[in-house]
Amino acid sequence: MASRDRRFTEDKTVLCVDMDAFFASVEQKTNPRLRGKPIAVIGSQGRTVVTTASYEARAYGVKTGMNTYEARRACPRIIFVVGNNARYTHTCREMEKIFLRYTPDVEVYSVDEAFLDITHSHRLFGGPVAVAAKIKEEVRDLFDIPCTVGIGHNVLMAKLASDLGKPDGLNWIKKEDVAGVLDPLPVDELWGIGKKTAQKLEKMGIRTCGELGRAPASLLRNKFGIYGETISCMGRGELGRAVEPTQGETEQVKSVGHSITLPADVTARADVEAWLLRLSDMVGRRVRRHGLMGRRITLTVRYSDFETVSKRVTLDAATSDTHMIYYAALKAVELLNIKGAVRLLGVSVSQVGEDHGQMHLMEEDRKRRDLLGAMDEVNNRYGDGAATWAVLRGRAERKRSRAGVISPAWRPTGVRNVQLK
Amino acid sequence: MKLTVTRDELLGRLSNIQNVVEKRNTMPVLSHFLLDARSDGSRITATDIETGIREPLEAAVATEGVLCIPARKLFEIVKELEGDISLESEDAQWLQVSSGKSSFRLACLAPEEFPSWPEMEEAVEVKLKPDVLEALVERTLYSAGESDTRYTLNGLLFHIEGKRLIVVGTDGHRMALMESELEAAAPEELKVIVPRKTASEVRKFLSSEEDVSVHIGKNHILFKVADVEFLARLIEGTYPNYHQVIPEKNDKLVTMDREAVIKALKRVSIMSRERSNAVKLDLEAGLIKLTSTNPDLGEANDEVAVTYDGEALSAGFNARYLLDVLQAMGTESVRFELHDQLSPTLLKEDGNENYRCVVMPMRI
Repeated sequence: MASRDRRFTEDKTVLCVDMDAFFASVEQKTNPRLRGKPIAVIGSQGRTVVTTASYEARAYGVKTGMNTYEARRACPRIIFVVGNNARYTHTCREMEKIFLRYTPDVEVYSVDEAFLDITHSHRLFGGPVAVAAKIKEEVRDLFDIPCTVGIGHNVLMAKLASDLGKPDGLNWIKKEDVAGVLDPLPVDELWGIGKKTAQKLEKMGIRTCGELGRAPASLLRNKFGIYGETISCMGRGELGRAVEPTQGETEQVKSVGHSITLPADVTARADVEAWLLRLSDMVGRRVRRHGLMGRRITLTVRYSDFETVSKRVTLDAATSDTHMIYYAALKAVELLNIKGAVRLLGVSVSQVGEDHGQMHLMEEDRKRRDLLGAMDEVNNRYGDGAATWAVLRGRAERKRSRAGVISPAWRPTGVRNVQLK
Repeated sequence: MKLTVTRDELLGRLSNIQNVVEKRNTMPVLSHFLLDARSDGSRITATDIETGIREPLEAAVATEGVLCIPARKLFEIVKELEGDISLESEDAQWLQVSSGKSSFRLACLAPEEFPSWPEMEEAVEVKLKPDVLEALVERTLYSAGESDTRYTLNGLLFHIEGKRLIVVGTDGHRMALMESELEAAAPEELKVIVPRKTASEVRKFLSSEEDVSVHIGKNHILFKVADVEFLARLIEGTYPNYHQVIPEKNDKLVTMDREAVIKALKRVSIMSRERSNAVKLDLEAGLIKLTSTNPDLGEANDEVAVTYDGEALSAGFNARYLLDVLQAMGTESVRFELHDQLSPTLLKEDGNENYRCVVMPMRI
């Protein structure tokens, strides 16, 4: 407990780098004709929800989560662009490299957000503001897209600083200014407090963070349990969570998984198999990148009526081989006896441990290991899908332009399981 | 159907089939066995589709008949009964089981639902001593896969070439191979994959003196052990080329005491990392040093005296794999044949070329 308590009180210097309308910015950067225009990125042609709107579109009131009809009603001139996940993840990975020049403690929180603990390194670069400015400059130089950097004494305040500084901003909430900033701030502007919690708080007469921080902790505890204590601290700008570096987080990993909401429901066995190969490949790659192996493969299937079922297959020995993961997923398909239209597929590997380097006896296994290693290298250098399976080429190529919806929890590095949404 | 049978006869026969009948509830009929009562000889048949077992039942049959009886339930009932047992069918639905003052009514299935015993296609017959077959299975099965997605590995390869029978098991990390001489040469070369479960079940019936007769067909293999018949559907597919895997250039030959190295491996692997079982072997003249380290726990060191005067070599191994091999071996001293730390290691009993095990090292 002692170390945990210290975390609460110990002040850090944390940066939150948040890309401004990330997907939309990347699209506008890639296609000059979209620049300066209201655009909205949608997950795929088969789906109709706005993932990100450009600032031009936001001016008309277009928001994330609207469907295309609502978006068009708000802004008749809006241009819909189908997202390109590979491009976003590649950009994100390149950005991580920039961050790592300033500190090893980088937590890539999501595809467009990262936390950097620069407590000990900012002096080398001339202070927090200098680091923030340099990062903004480097991102601008490399990708020509804007980002906002927030600085705070913990993750929560850094995130708030960046939220308040958007777009293209650099905002530092100094420790001594925290109370002043929080006092009039509506509670739901605080990261981690959702609409439902805000509604409950409002019924208790708590509307602002200042009121939240001053409310008796016991009252909040009665209403929300342990979470009550957390939000009480949050109301005072405290958060007992340190930046969790996404590199080297292999120790506590329990499982590695990917799931995808398909661009359109599928019924054909061949389609299911192609998606499974793709997911197995993503999972295998991530497992290998972190030097891990797992013994249990779990397949998750969500039908069009949202009924969700899963089946797990335990192998004789742990593996990180895409083929083995894929074959196990196929076996699970067999056991599940899938019927009906499939909306979402997920593949995960659990019972994960370090790859302890057991070598293969058979030539073909060794060759496949080498092949996967070579594919990983090519894909790391030239982006996902640069080297892939022919079967995916045919199928996925057609679907590339309408690739599945990327989960907001997707992380380019790190092995944490991506939860089903 | 009406018959009387001694408790021991029925219990023994039912016990034989318990592992074959299907426990999962996928097809109810597979958790039943077929009793075919004839005055000229009664028979019990059980199957899980992959493996079938057929055996006689010594019984006094008053009325002939066929019935499909729940295997597990009748076994449990017979276990608790004393004295002779009478089985009487009321119709195709109900079986009356009685002994002394105890009686049971057991729900049965129509015999037509029971899968028919497959016709054995044209087959090659070989005869084996029961102890030879037992050794062939016992000393290779531990190396075979269990739930590998490469399903051919979940069985044993039976390779017959002239007068030689070679049985091979591998899971892709290690391989065990045992050779035996047949009394008569087979007319053609044969390579078949016998499911793990069949091999494991047959093993339990090899205590008799009589030769085992093995009939190998295109799709099935039949083992006749005394009065029990085992029939299995062979695993289709191509088994890995095991010749390729056996190292031939291994020049570092080490002889050591089997018990001593087993004990040292068991001690040292206590400190191995969970799941990996990694143990490092440092070979030098006259000595093998065994080490394991676990960053969370600490480390272990041990030494075993060996006969060796070549150059030093270090290699990592899964201690489990080495122990499985060493425990399957029977001689006092064993031979390790190594090449380098990335190549497969060959293990043999000292003075026996018929049993060879290959273990792939771990990267260290």
